[in-house]
Amino acid sequence: MPHVSVQNLNKDFKIYERPQDRLFEIILRRQRHQLYHVLSDISFAVPDGKSLGIIGDNGAGKSTLLKLLVGTLQPTSGEISIEGQVAALLELGAGFHPEFTGRKNIYLNAALLGVPDDNIAELEKDIIAFSELDYFIDRPVKTYSSGMYVRLAFSIATMVRPDILVIDEALSVGDMAFQKKCVQRMNEFRQQQKTMIFCSHSMFHVQELCDIAIWLDKGKIREIGDSDKVVGHYEDFCNNKKTYNSIREDIPTERDTSQEASKANASDDIQDCKINSIAVKSPDGSDIATVKPLSDVLLEMEVEVLVDTMEGHFGFAFMKSAEEPIASFLTTNADEIELGVFAKGDIVKVSLIVEKVAMRVGEFYVLGGLADKSGLLWYETKFSKLLAMEANKGVGPIIMKCDWQLDKKG
Amino acid sequence: MLLTILREWMLTPFANYRLFHNFSRQDFLVQFTASIGGFLWLILTPVIHIIIYSFVFSYIFQIRSVEGFGETTFVVFMMVGYLPWFAFADSISKSTGLLLEKAPLITKVKFPVQIIPYVGTVIPYLTHAIGFGILLLYLATQGYLNWMWIYLPFIFFFQFLFALGLVSILSALSVFLRDLQQLVALGVTVWFFLTPIIYPITMLQNEDVRNLFLLNPMHSFVSLYREIVLQGQVHFIYLQIIIPVSLITYFFGGWLFMKIKQAFGDVL
Repeated sequence: MPHVSVQNLNKDFKIYERPQDRLFEIILRRQRHQLYHVLSDISFAVPDGKSLGIIGDNGAGKSTLLKLLVGTLQPTSGEISIEGQVAALLELGAGFHPEFTGRKNIYLNAALLGVPDDNIAELEKDIIAFSELDYFIDRPVKTYSSGMYVRLAFSIATMVRPDILVIDEALSVGDMAFQKKCVQRMNEFRQQQKTMIFCSHSMFHVQELCDIAIWLDKGKIREIGDSDKVVGHYEDFCNNKKTYNSIREDIPTERDTSQEASKANASDDIQDCKINSIAVKSPDGSDIATVKPLSDVLLEMEVEVLVDTMEGHFGFAFMKSAEEPIASFLTTNADEIELGVFAKGDIVKVSLIVEKVAMRVGEFYVLGGLADKSGLLWYETKFSKLLAMEANKGVGPIIMKCDWQLDKKG
Repeated sequence: MLLTILREWMLTPFANYRLFHNFSRQDFLVQFTASIGGFLWLILTPVIHIIIYSFVFSYIFQIRSVEGFGETTFVVFMMVGYLPWFAFADSISKSTGLLLEKAPLITKVKFPVQIIPYVGTVIPYLTHAIGFGILLLYLATQGYLNWMWIYLPFIFFFQFLFALGLVSILSALSVFLRDLQQLVALGVTVWFFLTPIIYPITMLQNEDVRNLFLLNPMHSFVSLYREIVLQGQVHFIYLQIIIPVSLITYFFGGWLFMKIKQAFGDVL
């Protein structure tokens, strides 16, 4: 049974200022390098027959992790245990010799991947058929287009029937028809209960082909789990990259807001009103922390009026950060809402139902606020706690309600 | 531990026979596919060298025959030493580039890397064995054939082991020290002139200096070829040198290569 597990894996690269420093270090035994931690404390196990996706930014250590798994790099510390025959597609056609024909390259590559002697001739036909190279198979590889190159490489790697297949970014090339075949082949692979480890920037492929996913961030596992969930979080992270790290500092606390508000109204030195609470609930009134795409949510805030004759507009907004809105809902256009005059001591409960939330991924805050009659000057605002969209299938930032229909004639 | 490493090293071409076979065939054939001349260039280089040295030594320096080798002309005397040397020099010169050329393969595909020095040494030896074989065939028709010739393959094999050991060391070190490429190219030239190939050792008058040449194993190899092919006799001193030196170099080279091959991925 193929089995992959990794325990407390660390990988450091030694950075030398000059190449000869490496030699001096060996001879003089004095340290001349700086350590660069590529991967630190990586632990995971791929359950038998499952496939694993690895996602993360460039330089997060994805390729290094794959190389360690394949065995072309040695870990600095930690353990990797792999049972079963591994075939790797880290670089397409790494073993190809451009001067030789595709057919000759099949033999060398199959030998590199450790195919038993008697199987190669048998596999040759399948490989040629799958790669769709036809008469090009007897032309030198250097005459191939990059698509043909990839097709041949992928055909060989998967045709040798490994127990564990390691693929790095392989699907991003080749025409659509071949990509489809690749996905089919990889799905067959999964059905045969073999293990696949797959690293890609295509979130769609990771979602479709992998059961579990690892999100690597600066050499550490940021998240591991169900591929739908991890991919969703990662996508959100990518969309928010600009503000993600600063968002928590951006969000003013309640106190800050009221101080700012009081500064804004420094002339009268008293606040017009105070937002006592803001909440996001499901339509039946229970508190929620995550929102299911296309579901309804209820936004509520309680406003305490501090002065007599207060008038104004109410508003809500979905905010990515303190500065960046996603959507806004204002009473300026809603005629039936009472806008005052309110008297001091009044407690106003404002609620709004947002139907079929169209966000697909991401996290957001709900901002509640109160503006003057013109709707331009905001007296008072308050942020809700952070809410997240629930993991779901699909790509892109929004989701839309839709109805399918299929008519067949004849 | 040491024995396991050496065992793996020794068994490499047999345990990975198919890979070895495919690699060797590819590297052998690629010498001919890339250029129009192909095989011609392989033959041409030693032939041109031989012509030049013959011109310089036979014509300019007027060396007609060599002391102790009777009727044998200087050209034949030189060729018997030069062709095996060329196999050695060719493998050593190429050694520094072996792993660097295959860097994408080594970093991306897991396979027994130690097969590369094997292939890198087998190819020049195989190629130049053809040239040496043709020379021997010619000499056989000239009445040089004697029963001692059956030892030639063994001598050639030990020379191969000696070269393989050096190729392993140089190829592995050149991953860390790129300067080695220039150094080795220079070293091969120096080694060539310090080996009595284009001159007989007897030209050296001083007995002590002559004995100093025994420190150069290639001198022993070249002398053995000449004695066997041209005289049908052997000085045991040369055998006493080449057998241990070849084996030690082969095993030490293998051990070193196996020891540091783990680090190739980090550096390449």
